[in-house]
Amino acid sequence: MSGVRLDGIVKAYGSVQVVHGIDLEVKEQEFVVLVGPSGCGKSTTLRMIAGLEEISDGDLTIDGRTVNRVAPKDRDVAMVFQNYALYPHLNVADNIAFGLRIRKESKEKIASSVEEVGGILGLTPYLERRPADLSGGQRQRVAMGRAIVRRPKVFLFDEPLSNLDAKLRTQMRAEIKRLHKRLGVTSIYVTHDQVEAMTLADRIVVMHDGRIEQIGSPMELFLNPANTFVAGFLGSPPMNMVTAMVASGDQGPVAEFDGQRIQLKPIPSLQNSVGEKVTLGIRPEFVNVGDQSDPRRVKVDVDLVETLGSEALIHANLQGAPFVIRTDTVGQMHVLDGISGFTIEPHLVKVFDAETGQTLPGQVLEQ
Amino acid sequence: MSADLDPAIGRTEELVVEAREAQRSRRPGSLQRVGDHLKREWQLYVMLIPTVLWLLIFLYKPMYGLQIAFKDYSIFRGVAGSPWIGFEHFQTLFGNDQFLRALKNTIIISFYGLLFGFPMPILLALMFNEILNQTFKKSAQTIVYLPHFVSSVIIAGIVITAFSPSAGIVNTIMGWFGIEPIYFLTKPEWFRPIFVGTGVWQEAGFQSIVYLAAIAGVSPTLYESAVVDGASRWQMMWKITIPSILPTIIIMLIIRIGNMLEVSFEMIILLYQPATYETADVVNTFIYRQGIQGGQYDLAAAAGLFNAVVAFVLVMTANTISKRYSRTSLW
Repeated sequence: MSGVRLDGIVKAYGSVQVVHGIDLEVKEQEFVVLVGPSGCGKSTTLRMIAGLEEISDGDLTIDGRTVNRVAPKDRDVAMVFQNYALYPHLNVADNIAFGLRIRKESKEKIASSVEEVGGILGLTPYLERRPADLSGGQRQRVAMGRAIVRRPKVFLFDEPLSNLDAKLRTQMRAEIKRLHKRLGVTSIYVTHDQVEAMTLADRIVVMHDGRIEQIGSPMELFLNPANTFVAGFLGSPPMNMVTAMVASGDQGPVAEFDGQRIQLKPIPSLQNSVGEKVTLGIRPEFVNVGDQSDPRRVKVDVDLVETLGSEALIHANLQGAPFVIRTDTVGQMHVLDGISGFTIEPHLVKVFDAETGQTLPGQVLEQ
Repeated sequence: MSADLDPAIGRTEELVVEAREAQRSRRPGSLQRVGDHLKREWQLYVMLIPTVLWLLIFLYKPMYGLQIAFKDYSIFRGVAGSPWIGFEHFQTLFGNDQFLRALKNTIIISFYGLLFGFPMPILLALMFNEILNQTFKKSAQTIVYLPHFVSSVIIAGIVITAFSPSAGIVNTIMGWFGIEPIYFLTKPEWFRPIFVGTGVWQEAGFQSIVYLAAIAGVSPTLYESAVVDGASRWQMMWKITIPSILPTIIIMLIIRIGNMLEVSFEMIILLYQPATYETADVVNTFIYRQGIQGGQYDLAAAAGLFNAVVAFVLVMTANTISKRYSRTSLW
């Protein structure tokens, strides 16, 4: 079992604690993405797994063995760095072979491994070139080649696509996913890009201020964020947040704000919250703008309509804050110019506690 | 579509020529481009003026006097008024045993300086880079940088005192082992080791700063990546640090080779004496004795010009070789 297990992992620099007791289990062959804003402790956590940072407290287990005090080379992990970490004085073949040479593998094994990895990553024509003569995408592939050539138990990726342009990033993202499917090696991937997290991960770990906010599959986190931080972090554009007061309506609980109201799903926790302040989370893609004559519609002030081809982003204002709506353009182009409000199904409105930011229980959306 | 319907068809070549002409007429001339560039970047050129003036006054204007190497120079007739005598001074020089000895000594001392003096700063920088205790590292660096800031006269005084046969520390230590005192600075065979050793002691620390700066420029992720790959500190030094600073090493080597014949003149003057001329007299001290003390300015100028030409050839050769084999060069 080449899984990785973190039990109460803490990282402190002197009196400053930056990672506060992380518990996480990464199963064998799983692709887990640590995602969060800059400074949330995701890279530090990854570096602790690699052995590049000492663990201040807690236990780290790789393949069933506690490795807190084990040297990086003996953890059987390979890491891909953000800036590739390629040796500029070595050509592609020597860069890929570096780890094997350090481990004093035989020349025959090194040659065959480099050839095989070069083939897998499409680097065969470039084996004699130096990193300076390669494009960003090719360099990134060499960096991955260096990692996979050793056949480690765990791959660690530290924002490996951050230095690439948007088009190349999309392409390399797919290559990483294909590579993971092909090799089936347990992988832990750090990124601040939620699109990378959503597309690559079997499970996403959302981190914030050195703590794990939520762990789950991409769709679990998208549909059922545990709190306003996760809700705002995942999804592009992010979830709209509206502050409202819970009231009783004819058909169950409603949320009232600025003289407007939205029907809510009748969950038990809301029955007890009448008169209390809540935060409504409304995904831009869950709202409906098809019927502008619906009396139940929530009125917004439309600022700008961006048509992106098959879909459009409607930038509006609600409660003086930006409110974004994503809608299909097909069959709706005639509607886009005259939008003044939206409707939404009650079960698609997420309700969070206004004070703690935590989601109220009983509103799980099925995938 | 028939060719008759479109007058452009069949006129491709003409159209290309026309387009090129039009483009050429739109493109500003080279003089205009220089003018535009000066207008845009004039601040940079203003900053350059002091350096250019310094070069012109102190390095280029004196070159006018180089012609006395080919003249029978007299201070009364002046540089322009002295008659041309061709390569006579060079013939005299190469027939002069003292000059040939000085040339041989210069080459030998320079070679030793290169052999022992050039690698030492690199070794020091690599060692400093491996020291983890910051306090110890800073103290050690200060100690080895210090001699550079001490005047050559004081350094020479320290060396003379240290190797003194009566009270010098070297002879005192030798005395503990029952070895008879040696008056090192009067022994021709000891001059070169003492001179080269003094140079290394005085400059190696300071010169190591260049290599430390180069090492500081190596991306830390290269080391982290190597650590994950299983490299030891020794392997990281050989496989990452040294190859990464190799361009700096090569540039410094080219500069050093260019200055090979410029043996530390003042230190030789301070340390040598007639008894050690046999191994200590170098081209620069020969020029000093002939030119300044002996009043043979023209002969000294010929020796100096020879020195400069050899240095120029050396630096050109080193640069060309480096460019061809390592992709690193001064220009």
